[in-house]
Amino acid sequence: MNEEPLLEQLIEALRCLPGVGPKSAQRMAFHVLERDRDSARHLSTVLSKACDVIGHCADCRNFTELERCRICASASRDSSQLCVVESPSDVIAIERATGYRGKYFVLLGRLSPIDGIGPAELGLDQLKARLAEGEVSELIIATNPTVEGEATAYYLQEMASQQEIPVTRIAHGVPLGGELEYIDQSTLAMAFSSRQSLSR
Amino acid sequence: MRILEEPAFVLHARAFRETSLLLELLTREHGRIGAVARGARSAKSRWRNRLQPFRPLLVGWNQRGELGTLTGAEEVATLPPLKGEALMCGLYVNELLIRFLHRSDPHPGVFSAYQALVGSLSAGEQIQPLLRVFERDLLQDVGLGLQLDHEAGGERDLDPATHYEYLPESGAVPRDNQADSAHPLVSGEALIALRTGQINDSQQRELKLLMRRLIRYHLGDKPLASHDLFR
Repeated sequence: MNEEPLLEQLIEALRCLPGVGPKSAQRMAFHVLERDRDSARHLSTVLSKACDVIGHCADCRNFTELERCRICASASRDSSQLCVVESPSDVIAIERATGYRGKYFVLLGRLSPIDGIGPAELGLDQLKARLAEGEVSELIIATNPTVEGEATAYYLQEMASQQEIPVTRIAHGVPLGGELEYIDQSTLAMAFSSRQSLSR
Repeated sequence: MRILEEPAFVLHARAFRETSLLLELLTREHGRIGAVARGARSAKSRWRNRLQPFRPLLVGWNQRGELGTLTGAEEVATLPPLKGEALMCGLYVNELLIRFLHRSDPHPGVFSAYQALVGSLSAGEQIQPLLRVFERDLLQDVGLGLQLDHEAGGERDLDPATHYEYLPESGAVPRDNQADSAHPLVSGEALIALRTGQINDSQQRELKLLMRRLIRYHLGDKPLASHDLFR
């Protein structure tokens, strides 16, 4: 194949996508060359434009092509609630599932000292400054219930407490439609220890 | 080499390839090992939420070359999850172990100490004295132990009333005042407390500074990242 350097390059380049190994990359390359060159040209234009134009929102760090993302710029969103999540896909998940009307802050990661990810890498100075502005009256922590997510949550909690801003954490427990018998021990223990009172 | 049902803790897990995890495990008989948990990040994996730090596990793996392949992981007991400061300290200890232990270098003593420490952290015991004793034992086990039986030179016992400059290579050198020393002085009383493990509140601060300095000395240029979390 060495006599076709461009084809080789294309296959190699496609492998940067998640889940694409050498075999899939080869299949994709042959597919676009054989039947769909127009779509491929379109893809290449959009891809290069997206890489040039899309940056991070100045307020929440989520991806946007404007200075501020749609949610941060919206006048109908409540600026007093701020929900902190690990990744842009978490924002989409919460937007789809809940009627949350507040704003977000996207960490783009979680505290993991061993991997060299500390408070600075997660934009926590920016978040601190935002909290100091005094507009936020509830910080909702929606980091994942992993060890690193919990460490991040604790750090955020300390930060908000210093500025006397109320902090809440999304609940963890038994999934809807699940059965206790099949739930792993730690989740069940967590659900049990954070049970809620039902008495009026 | 195939290993079955070995007591272990996950020290660190990072994403590896598309759906796998690359684990750093602390095992009882084999020390720290690196192992790949195939498919552990996929939604259907039975390991999905088990492979988290601070959970006592029984693991099995196949070892060929540097990295093992995880073949089994069972949770032995459920400890209450670490919270708040205990969690941060746990992450610090995990980083410490990764930095001080080489892969496949057995340290059963360190494993037992770690197991006990995780239990105590989980039970919400007072953290700082536990950490000092763990740091002392870890350094001892990897051959960098402190000299806490007597003064540098080995002729005199530590005197509780004397202040010392502790030098990593030689031990506790008596100093009359702070100006004679390049480092903060530490009292003989505190050094003896570190030896016996009976550390009281007033000795905590000087011992923390001492251990922090010694650990930095032994680790060389690259400081511990966990220290950024304690600001």
